[in-house]
Amino acid sequence: MNTQALSAPRPAGLGGRIALATALVVAIPFAVNDFWVFIAIECVVFALYAATFNLLFGYGGMLPFGHAVLFGVGAYAVAILVKKSAFSALVALAIAPLAGALTAAIVAFFCVRLAGIYLGMLTFAFQMLAYTVVLKWYSLTGGDDGLSGITIAGWLGTPHGLYALSVVLTAAGIAFLWLVVRSPFGVALQAAKSNPQKSRAVGIDVARHQLLAFVISGFLAGLAGGLFALANQSVFPGWLNWTASAVPIVMTVLGGMASFWGPLVGAVIYVLLQTVLTGYTEYWALALGFLIIAIVMVMPQGVMGWFDRGRRG
Amino acid sequence: MDLTLTFDWLGNPVVVLRQFVAGLSNGALLFLVAAGLSLIFGVSRIVNFAHGAVFMLGGYFAYSVVGSARSSPLMFAAALALATAATFVFGVLFERIVLRRIYRSDPAFQLLVTFALVLILGDAVRIIWGRDENSALAPLGLEHIVRIAGFGLSAYRLFLIAVGAIVCVALWWALYRTRAGVLIRAATVDREMLKALGVRTDRLFTLVFGVGCALAGLAGGLAVPVVSVGPGLHSQVLIDAFTVVVIGGMGSFVGALVGALLLGQANAFGTLIAPAAAIVLPFLVMLVVLVLRPWGLFGRPE
Repeated sequence: MNTQALSAPRPAGLGGRIALATALVVAIPFAVNDFWVFIAIECVVFALYAATFNLLFGYGGMLPFGHAVLFGVGAYAVAILVKKSAFSALVALAIAPLAGALTAAIVAFFCVRLAGIYLGMLTFAFQMLAYTVVLKWYSLTGGDDGLSGITIAGWLGTPHGLYALSVVLTAAGIAFLWLVVRSPFGVALQAAKSNPQKSRAVGIDVARHQLLAFVISGFLAGLAGGLFALANQSVFPGWLNWTASAVPIVMTVLGGMASFWGPLVGAVIYVLLQTVLTGYTEYWALALGFLIIAIVMVMPQGVMGWFDRGRRG
Repeated sequence: MDLTLTFDWLGNPVVVLRQFVAGLSNGALLFLVAAGLSLIFGVSRIVNFAHGAVFMLGGYFAYSVVGSARSSPLMFAAALALATAATFVFGVLFERIVLRRIYRSDPAFQLLVTFALVLILGDAVRIIWGRDENSALAPLGLEHIVRIAGFGLSAYRLFLIAVGAIVCVALWWALYRTRAGVLIRAATVDREMLKALGVRTDRLFTLVFGVGCALAGLAGGLAVPVVSVGPGLHSQVLIDAFTVVVIGGMGSFVGALVGALLLGQANAFGTLIAPAAAIVLPFLVMLVVLVLRPWGLFGRPE
């Protein structure tokens, strides 16, 4: 994998790109109807979610098979607090990242010392445990039906309000991740990925770095889940199922796993593709399956890698 | 969640025996699926997320032969043969066309490609066979209740146990008494060395993926009279097979056998003792095994 691209983005043009992206993001809700505002929220939230996966995978070298548990715990934290307690939706949303971080800390405590495949399997087992509990604890979680009617009062509960909330929190989350991967901690995490033995030899506590990466990832994945619960006004157990855990992996590989921005781009492409294709065919999964195989075989560096290669000539 | 424990069934030998046979027959099916999954992982290090989908495919192939009416033994045998052969061919083609190119790629790619297969097969069966849940009957000659020492047992369940045992012995013989088996076991230990010694490992990988899929397909065909064949069939099978393979040890034949028999019984009696806890228990055991002994009960540490 191209670790160069991970640690050294081109500084030139970054300011311009951010300005362009900001202008685009602000303009969207004024240009489209409520349906597309909802899709835009989905793009934003899943961009954050994909970025939390990439912190573990692209920067930490860990491949969890159960990342959806962190997203799902955040979503259910918001839903349960709003439905079953006196907390307001905003307080619930503030608790969602903590629920995600706590879950991640528990998962990571057990799995960071495990070699690749076993780490994946352990996260898979945690996810199935959480999924089964959510499915069977009907009185708390609504079981199969999920929970609905999760709304924020006032302007924040309107499509534009939810969009603004999602954009601001996601931007803060992504900016935080950007700082994390450039911090000494982030550099050590990447060193631990490319050569764990050597990292230990120079005094990096590999397991502790991976654990902290998990906690940060869980914190923001929980936030993404909480936002998505509010945007949907409902949560469903399928969000924690094993098939849901493939989604951030697909987004990451689609956008390009060797870059910070790749998974974000991948998330947006994924959500738009899903929205457009499900309008034409009920067999969107079939198309996605063939797309995944095509990407893996034809452009393994993803959309961003393909762009970069084009630019270099 | 209702976590009360119930033990009043213990005094009823009919229930105990019925659950035992149900658990053993489900364990036999699970063994076929898990053995294939484990074999594929052992040799190629691919975690086949599509293994449950191949099981489902086997079920649909068999169902399209027998249908909902009671079939003759010959038709049923033909259905099983089709389920096995078609999934073998499918596995061979998928390995040759797709998997072969990504053995050296990032593990995320290998995961995604098998996941893509789950998506493709899930929609393919909807397109070909529709969205209905289909159920089939046990074939003539196996539809009755067998009386053993005064207890009535389903003949088809006993048949499943017998087939599981026969395939298990055949697999053991193939793995431990044939040249291909020696090579497969050698490949689970050190693929590179095997290749360096001049073995055509690419053919071995194709064979193992095909046979692994055929085992899942056969299990899917066998399961048709005891499950409902629908587009959602793949998920629970995959989760159960993962549980078995992780607990038994990824790549271990004995582990797949012991794990499948244990999970079969745990499900059968767990639903009697505490239904809600019973479906959580396998994942808890899986977690404990991964934390204490990640290579599983019968696996080999890397």
